[in-house]
Amino acid sequence: MKSRVNKADRDKSSNRVSGDISSNTELLQRLVNTVKDYAILLLDTEGRVLTWNVGAERIKGWKADEIIGQPISKFYAPEDIEKGKMEQELREAAEKGRFEDESWRVRKDGTRFWANVILTALRDENGKLLGFGKVTRDLTERRQNEERIKKQSLEILEMATVPVVQVWEGIVLVPIIGTLDSQRTQQLMERLLNRVTETGSPVALLDITGVSTIDSQTAQHLIETTSAVRLLGAEVILTGVRPSIAQTLVHLGIDLSNVITRSSLAAGLQRAFNLLNTTVTSIPQNNGGGK
Amino acid sequence: MNAENISVIKVRELLMVTMPSDPDDPTISALQEKVLNAMERHEAKGVVLDISAVETLDSFFARTISETAQMVTLMGGRTIIAGMRPAVAVTATELGLTLGTVETALNVDRALDMVNKPEKQA
Repeated sequence: MKSRVNKADRDKSSNRVSGDISSNTELLQRLVNTVKDYAILLLDTEGRVLTWNVGAERIKGWKADEIIGQPISKFYAPEDIEKGKMEQELREAAEKGRFEDESWRVRKDGTRFWANVILTALRDENGKLLGFGKVTRDLTERRQNEERIKKQSLEILEMATVPVVQVWEGIVLVPIIGTLDSQRTQQLMERLLNRVTETGSPVALLDITGVSTIDSQTAQHLIETTSAVRLLGAEVILTGVRPSIAQTLVHLGIDLSNVITRSSLAAGLQRAFNLLNTTVTSIPQNNGGGK
Repeated sequence: MNAENISVIKVRELLMVTMPSDPDDPTISALQEKVLNAMERHEAKGVVLDISAVETLDSFFARTISETAQMVTLMGGRTIIAGMRPAVAVTATELGLTLGTVETALNVDRALDMVNKPEKQA
C-alpha cells in the first residue's frame, strides 16, 4: 500500500517537471552553472577541483580553466594551509558525511572574504567515496554589518553610561543615573579624568540626582573618583544629594566630609562659580525678549 | 637618572621642580634634600612640583612627596603638585596611594595662580 502511494507520488512529480531523467539532469546542470550567489563545485577524493560555476568565479576570482585540477587549498589563507586545514576538513567530511565552516578564505587577487563553506561527501551505492560537493557563500558583507552594529551599540552603551559634559568654561558635569558598579566607576573615572585634563577644568560636578538608592559600594566608588580628580588638581562637587540619600549616607557611616556636597545642581553650580571666582548676573529684561 | 640633573629653580618667591618621566628611588630621595636645602637658602614661600612627565607613581614616590610637603610646611611653605596625568591618578587611586594634604593643580599655570591666593578651605 505504502509503496504504491510513494510510487504514484514519484510518477506524478516527475511528470510535472519532465518525464525524461536526462533532461532533469541537464536542468540541474544549468542551475548549478548559472547560480551566481553560491560557488558550487565538485572535488575529487583528494580535494582537487573537478567542476566550476559562475558563482565560484564571481566569489573566488579564478576562471574555470585556471583552477580545474588544482587543490582547494588555493582558497585558504597561508596560516590555514600550514595547519593542514584542507586535509582536516576533507577527512571530517568523509567521516561524518558533511562539514561546515565559517572562516576567512582567499580570492585569486589575495584579498580575503568571510566564507560559509559546506563540504558534502559523495559516495556510490556501496559506500565508496567518489569525491566531495562544495558549496561556498561570501558572507563578508553580513559580517561587516554585524561588526559595525556591534561597535555602534558598544559606543552608544558607553555614551549612555557616563556622559561627561562641559557646562561652563572650567566646569565639567557628570550626571550619574542608576547604580554605580565597579565597571561603570572605572569608565566614569577614566572619562572624567581625561575630560578634566583636556578641558583644563578645575571643577567637576558629580550629579547624583538620578541615583535612586545609594549603598556603601556606590559611595566608596564616588569617594575614589573624587580623590582621583583631586590628584589632578581639580575639585569635585557632589550635587543632587536628596534627603533620602543624605539619610542613607549617615546611617551607613560614610564620611563625605572631605567632599563638597550640595542638595541641588543649581547650588553646586553656584559653588563652582565661587571656586572659579566667576559671577553670573541675571540677564537684563530687554535682552530676554529675543528681539 | 641622576638627581644632579634635576634642577630646583627659584622663580620670584617660589621653587620650581620638574620631575623626569621615570624617577628611581635614589633620585626621589636626593630631590627631597635638594628642595629642603633650597627652601632654607632662598626662604621660599612654596614649592611647585611639576609631574606632568611622570608616567608611573609608586608608593615610595607618593610617600616621599607627602613627607616632603609636610617638611616644607614645617619650614613655612606650601607644596603644590601640578599636572598629574589621568592614568597616573587612576593607578594611584586603585593602589590607595594618597598624597596627604598636598595641594594639587591642573598645570603649573594654575599652581602659580593658587600661590597668590589664600589657601583653599577644606
